[in-house]
Amino acid sequence: MDERDLRLRALTYGLFVELGRAPTTGEVAGSGDLTEADVISGWQRLHEQHALVLDPLTDGILMANPFSAVPTAYRVQADGRWWYANCAWDAFGICAALHVDGRIETSCPDCGETLNVEAREQRPDDESLLFHCLVPAARWWDDIVFT
Amino acid sequence: MNLFRSEEHIKRWLDGRSPGATIGVGKLSELAHAWWSDRLPPEWQPHTREQNQAVLDRLGLTGPFWQLA
Repeated sequence: MDERDLRLRALTYGLFVELGRAPTTGEVAGSGDLTEADVISGWQRLHEQHALVLDPLTDGILMANPFSAVPTAYRVQADGRWWYANCAWDAFGICAALHVDGRIETSCPDCGETLNVEAREQRPDDESLLFHCLVPAARWWDDIVFT
Repeated sequence: MNLFRSEEHIKRWLDGRSPGATIGVGKLSELAHAWWSDRLPPEWQPHTREQNQAVLDRLGLTGPFWQLA
């Protein structure tokens, strides 16, 4: 990844955290003295390098892992805001990336029971829960949305 | 990549599909911190596959399922 793309990624992630949502191309362009065309082409390169995930329908951000740009089954309260995570791993990842404690709210995919987890000093308060990863690591990026 | 109440719930959810890998949520939290804690600083650099594999290995997530490539 070259310096240009590293800078664009840092601008994008910085705005995501500042705004509490995915930034638009215009917002990133405005914050980095770039054109929107620069941002669109740069995001495409970052997508190809798995540094973020674009929505194929809009070319906007779908995932800036561990953050999700769209509502998901994993809500995380951290650093004074509610966030959406792409999966259970990313839910803890939001606390890790922000370096804060947090609260994760989701439901068991089997029975629908609400599962709430407090993450304090990097530990969950309910250690009885289990994490299941269906797709082997070598195939995670074959279809990252399904993974 | 989901959280479940118990093994019984995972088995029922799989509904005959081959299972993947199951770990405790405590291990998941360790994994998340090892994987994501450096993502926001502007000086972030992409992890190599070897670096990511080393994170998994260090946490005992070894074997064919956890091989990145």
